[in-house]
Amino acid sequence: MPEPNLLVIGNGGAAIHALQAARASGHSGPLHLVSDMQGRAFNPMLSPYYLAGKILFDDCFPFGEGFYKKFDITCHLGSPVETLDSANKEVILKGGEKLPYDRCLVATGASPLLPPVPGLRTSNHLFTLRTAEDTILLHDALSETQSALILGASLVGVKVAEILVQRGIKVTIVDIAGQVLPHAAHPECAGILEAHFATKGVELHLSSNLERVEDHGSEAVFHFQGNKTIKADLCLVSTGVRPNLDFLNGSGVEIDQGIIVNHRMRTSVEGLYAAGDVSQGRNLLTGKEEVIGLWGNACYQGRTAGLNMAGQKTSYPGAVPDHISTLFGLTLVHLGNPMHQGNDVTILSNRDLSEGPYRLMAFDKGVLVGANLINGFESAGRLRKAMIRKLNWEEHFGPLTRVPSDQEIAQFLADVPDSLSIPSPPF
Amino acid sequence: MQIGFSFNVSRCSGCMACVVACQDENDLHGDGLNFRHVTRLEKGQFPAVSMSFLSLACQHCGDAPCMMVCPTGAIYKRDKDGIVDVHQEICVGCHSCALACPFGAPRYLENGKMSKCHFCVARVEDGREPACVRVCPTKALGFGSMDSLSRQKAEKASMFLLEPLMKVSGP
Repeated sequence: MPEPNLLVIGNGGAAIHALQAARASGHSGPLHLVSDMQGRAFNPMLSPYYLAGKILFDDCFPFGEGFYKKFDITCHLGSPVETLDSANKEVILKGGEKLPYDRCLVATGASPLLPPVPGLRTSNHLFTLRTAEDTILLHDALSETQSALILGASLVGVKVAEILVQRGIKVTIVDIAGQVLPHAAHPECAGILEAHFATKGVELHLSSNLERVEDHGSEAVFHFQGNKTIKADLCLVSTGVRPNLDFLNGSGVEIDQGIIVNHRMRTSVEGLYAAGDVSQGRNLLTGKEEVIGLWGNACYQGRTAGLNMAGQKTSYPGAVPDHISTLFGLTLVHLGNPMHQGNDVTILSNRDLSEGPYRLMAFDKGVLVGANLINGFESAGRLRKAMIRKLNWEEHFGPLTRVPSDQEIAQFLADVPDSLSIPSPPF
Repeated sequence: MQIGFSFNVSRCSGCMACVVACQDENDLHGDGLNFRHVTRLEKGQFPAVSMSFLSLACQHCGDAPCMMVCPTGAIYKRDKDGIVDVHQEICVGCHSCALACPFGAPRYLENGKMSKCHFCVARVEDGREPACVRVCPTKALGFGSMDSLSRQKAEKASMFLLEPLMKVSGP
């Protein structure tokens, strides 16, 4: 039997790892890559480092120039996919060209979500930060910017705010939620961060509902509920992302928030796989399927898809939502769901920062379900492991009345059988 | 080939010589900046108590999670000996590896870049032992290829089973 014809739509972490894994596992048949973008695979995680002047633009492309040649990949760049005909197993590119496949991976990622606020989408001062093109546009605009409004106090929003402040730009962060980082930080942790951001010169407008945007020459005016207005030269929208799956209309593939996949990254349609930010994955904490928009998760999903497409049988069980990010000099860790609620939930924190780094831990029936750390990230990976393995802390420590120290966490985990064995995903 | 550390928990006295040797070898003088950590494990309740120690550094995982999550490709695995190391000029200091490592191995230098146990790669290439292994007074720490380490372990286990039998049937 000839080797199957594998086709990958997308050119990000998931796509690259899929191609690499398929080739490395011995697939000698054709490998096609289709992308609407030109050029190499871009990592959106790195654009803040470029904007901050810490790396060159070229460094935002982590897989190098020679990747596609080395793995003998036929690239179709600058070719957006118009539709995917799953019945005839072919993708139809814009312009009408048809590419047949035996197995196809959808790894098209996600795009910034723009809130439906009148005047926002048409504003000349609107920027987002996701693609290589977005990064260049924002970078070039910064030299003429004196004031900026960041819509969405997300990790991206705060990270960009930090860069703008360093460049002497007046920054206002706005969010509809009553706290910064509403998806990543417990309100108590957010409070500490908010106070810190304020000392760095950031103006915060929380619980603020944007009603409309008007362009007035070189600046835009943002009107909020309650007759509040803010003027700014530049507006960065960082209110989240949505999966790029418009071309799948009519393909019959099952979609919830993202494409539904199983542990082998197979979709509901024969021969069709999905991985990365366009697909869902299992949240190991809740057991629910959801979009887990993390670079590492995308790479693991891509690798799993590539191996299965090449005929191997491997699976990826899922991940827990987690982030680590340095924001205005503080390293914030978010693990699982620090806002977890329920009757058996114990939330412990050491608010007194003179006693060491801030740490908040949420336990449900003695099992760690969420955590926030500020600095003191040394035990972050171990806490993550304890969370994934659903270890019971009460069995070890007795009733939980205070946050365990680093030393206690290390002791607890060292006591777990096979805690020293070399891990396999998830860790 | 994959090289690795071996550790015999029943031999470790918790003297911390490995930690100090590592700091010395790698010029680590920052506060709390150690590539190797010794954890004290206490078990039981008086009078039936026991204490043991665990000396741990980077495990140089076969399928290293730090390498997979690294956004820049700075973390890499050497083909010839499986050592997981970091290209510091490519590292942006994003700390993703700190969250991915289940052993808490990644450390960060003053310039924000990741650094961790690299198996004293210069010593190993020169045919010598890593600093921590060389200095260990009780020979709790060892190193070698995974094949030779598991062979040693199997030999030791067989001797453990055979020795009592040899005594019984001996002259």
